[in-house]
Amino acid sequence: MKYAPPFQRTNGLLPVLVVFAALILLPLVITETYARHTLILVFIYAVLASNWDLSLGYGGIVNFAHLGFFAIGLYAYAILAKVIGLDPWVSLLITPLFAVTFAVLLAIPILRLEGIYVILVTIAATQLLQQIVVSQSSYTGGTSGMVLLPRLEIAGYKLSSDNRLGYYYFGLALLTASTFFLYKLERSSIGRAIKALRDNKYYAISRGVSEARTRLVTLSLSAIFPALAGGFYGAYLRVASPDVFGLGFLTIALSVLLLGGVATIWGSLIAAFVVVGLSQLLVDYGAWRNIAIALVIISVVVVYPGGLYAAMQEIWSGFDRAKTNLIATFRRKSGAPARARAMGTTDQLVETSHGAVSVCDTHSGAQTIIFIHGNSSCKEVFRHQLEALRDQFRCVAFDLPGHGVSPNADPDKDYNLAAYAQIVAELVERLKLGRPIIFGWSLGGYVALEYVAAGNPITALAICGTSPVRTYPDDMPKGYIPSPHMELAGKRFHSPHEKGQYATHTIGLQKDAEPILWQAVWRTDGHAREQAFAKLKTTDWQRQISVIQSKDVPFVMINGPNDPFINHTYCARSEFGTPFSAHPILIEGAGHAPFLEDPKPFTQEFLRFIRAAQSLPVE
Amino acid sequence: MAFDTFMFILMSGILLGGLYALMATGLAVVWTTLGVFNFAHGAFVTLGAYVAWQVTQPVAGGFGFMIAVLMSVTVMFCLGFVLHFALIKPFERNQNVVLLAVISTLAAASIIENGVLLTWGPRDKQITPPIGSRINFFGASINAFDFVILAVALLALFALALFLRRTTMGRTLRAAAQNREAAELMGLDVPRLFAITLGISAATAALAGIFVGSLRFINPSFGADPLMKSLIVVILGGVARFTSPIYAAFVVGIAESFSAYFLGLYWSPALLFAMMIAVLLIKPEGLFGHRSKTL
Repeated sequence: MKYAPPFQRTNGLLPVLVVFAALILLPLVITETYARHTLILVFIYAVLASNWDLSLGYGGIVNFAHLGFFAIGLYAYAILAKVIGLDPWVSLLITPLFAVTFAVLLAIPILRLEGIYVILVTIAATQLLQQIVVSQSSYTGGTSGMVLLPRLEIAGYKLSSDNRLGYYYFGLALLTASTFFLYKLERSSIGRAIKALRDNKYYAISRGVSEARTRLVTLSLSAIFPALAGGFYGAYLRVASPDVFGLGFLTIALSVLLLGGVATIWGSLIAAFVVVGLSQLLVDYGAWRNIAIALVIISVVVVYPGGLYAAMQEIWSGFDRAKTNLIATFRRKSGAPARARAMGTTDQLVETSHGAVSVCDTHSGAQTIIFIHGNSSCKEVFRHQLEALRDQFRCVAFDLPGHGVSPNADPDKDYNLAAYAQIVAELVERLKLGRPIIFGWSLGGYVALEYVAAGNPITALAICGTSPVRTYPDDMPKGYIPSPHMELAGKRFHSPHEKGQYATHTIGLQKDAEPILWQAVWRTDGHAREQAFAKLKTTDWQRQISVIQSKDVPFVMINGPNDPFINHTYCARSEFGTPFSAHPILIEGAGHAPFLEDPKPFTQEFLRFIRAAQSLPVE
Repeated sequence: MAFDTFMFILMSGILLGGLYALMATGLAVVWTTLGVFNFAHGAFVTLGAYVAWQVTQPVAGGFGFMIAVLMSVTVMFCLGFVLHFALIKPFERNQNVVLLAVISTLAAASIIENGVLLTWGPRDKQITPPIGSRINFFGASINAFDFVILAVALLALFALALFLRRTTMGRTLRAAAQNREAAELMGLDVPRLFAITLGISAATAALAGIFVGSLRFINPSFGADPLMKSLIVVILGGVARFTSPIYAAFVVGIAESFSAYFLGLYWSPALLFAMMIAVLLIKPEGLFGHRSKTL
């Protein structure tokens, strides 16, 4: 199941609204004709490049005839409106028909072809088109092209009047419509089929995606808006010339696409402003301009293939990390009394080889229990257990790096199960915790299993809200119920809506009931989520399973029957049963976090397990 | 149609074929060895012609035609050698290497073309041919230099074939083309071999450019047509054997000169592109060969 929230619930809503409003208001500020002309060209190139991305980026069909769609739109408008004498608006609106026809004709030869042959056929097709246009000089004007094409008017108002105000808004409308179309298409079933064919052709085909039909649809759909842009270009400049087949257009459109980043609609839109703005600035430098554009293309391809969109993500990510780190630093100081009240003890910062972690330690007691929290949470989820168990045990809970009030750490080295398990081992050594009892929740459950699997001695092990995995990733869809939550758990950037969803589902409580935990989701370093999930594939899962199945380690699973994520039938398999409990212990009425939702019955069950484990002779 | 007209068309077709063979072989050698299509090949043709033209100018010493050819071929070999490391080497391990190489070589073509424009200006230039006399060939009056060009082009291709088959360096190139990993395991410096291949390709392009430049006029963008023709030739002929594109070059050259006579100048490129698409549809491995690629 793919997680695809509606646009208004994503992080993109605000920036897009702001930019759109700015573009609507911009003509009030920019009244000069040449600047508006540049912006109109930006809109046209943005439409061209973002639709090219549909075939090249999303579809993986390297269609070098894309500019042919634009040229067909231009010439169709020119011929219909000038030679045949149709109404300019009607001519403009039926240009896509011709481009789509060409796209279908183009799709037929390349259905069977791969790689370089697609490039060659599409280049040849463009050349063929150009030769036809040039040779039919009685209709197309030949090499010199056509001039004085009919312009667009609305009820007698020329779109070119008031310093091209009408064309500006028409171009903006075209770009908006095209972007809306691409956005909807990308997230539709067709869009997913297009991407599936690109990513894993044979798997997609075996799942019933027709390669030929999808390629045909991809090319046809990518022809619609370029044709409209071509017609609009003709009506705006009132010229149609074979220059549109030349390298100049191709390289600018290609550099917009590449600089923006392949397979991102928004990247092309941003890059259109940069590239077209730059090329209009350099328009007086002639050959130097083309050299500059070519150098931009080469340097992007060689040095930073992700393009501007990836760069913006990096910047945003850096900003987000700095912000979450600042929140953690601030809360470490100002929130200390509130946390001390909740936990019954003040937390301290302990340095480990994987970054500093904030630790709560009740100090007294012979036997230690270590609590490990889950993804995007914090140590305060265990406050009921600390309160109930601190008289009998030494209770230790800590914030994982990038979580709670621990500072952020190095995403590459420190945000993975092995690093988290290493942190636990270092805490045991540093704080002299002996042979601890370990309780891990959710992601922390895997950390606990990893800690034991690495050979660290323990007294007992309990996990909660965690499905043991034998082979990754095959067992993930068996152990968990497929839901959007899975996508959220490994997502770097959450929108406010997504943060709320995540918090509500994981702790099963509303915002006002658990402000500290609610805040923890906001504070979590997005990289911690992303990296921990991305690196699940590097874990030795078989080793974790042998921990569960070894009779030396007292082990039990404690789950909430209403847990929305884990598959209870899977967890109840006999292979995960232990002498302590053949099936996972279920806490009546609880969800993903039974220790928080129903602390009393949970603590009772947990204590019973600990007593049983402690009664075993230590070998 | 008179016999002398027929002979004239045939001879000009064969001459075109010889030039196309020279250009297309350069392209095919890169395609079979590096596994990418070099879209800067046309720009190499242009730049080679301009370098030769410059050498023959009084300001550069006014050297003779032969010196100009040698200079141009050497310069272009070095340029091709260096450009491999800038344009293709950075992503040779990338799975999208074919697309990325198309993009980077297109950009390089743009840089070279505009660099030529900046250096030598937009006006047409011609390299003075060393032989101006005409001879009568079966009733058709044909430039003696045309025969020289044809002979030199074929000789150059023959020498290249000998180099690839009989010399150690040529054999290592073919080894690297056939199985890159095995060649590396045998201790061959594959990036250097690839760079040499691109250098050889650029050198043949320069030779072709000089010949075209002494037959017609040269301007900064005249390489686009040779590039397109080479593409058509390589696709029509396939790259199964070293000789495949050479045969195809003569087919294309003769077809072009006859269609230009019978269909007109505008339709002959359209015919060639249509032929190319048809071949790709029916026999994508080319008219002369199997699907495998070897040198």
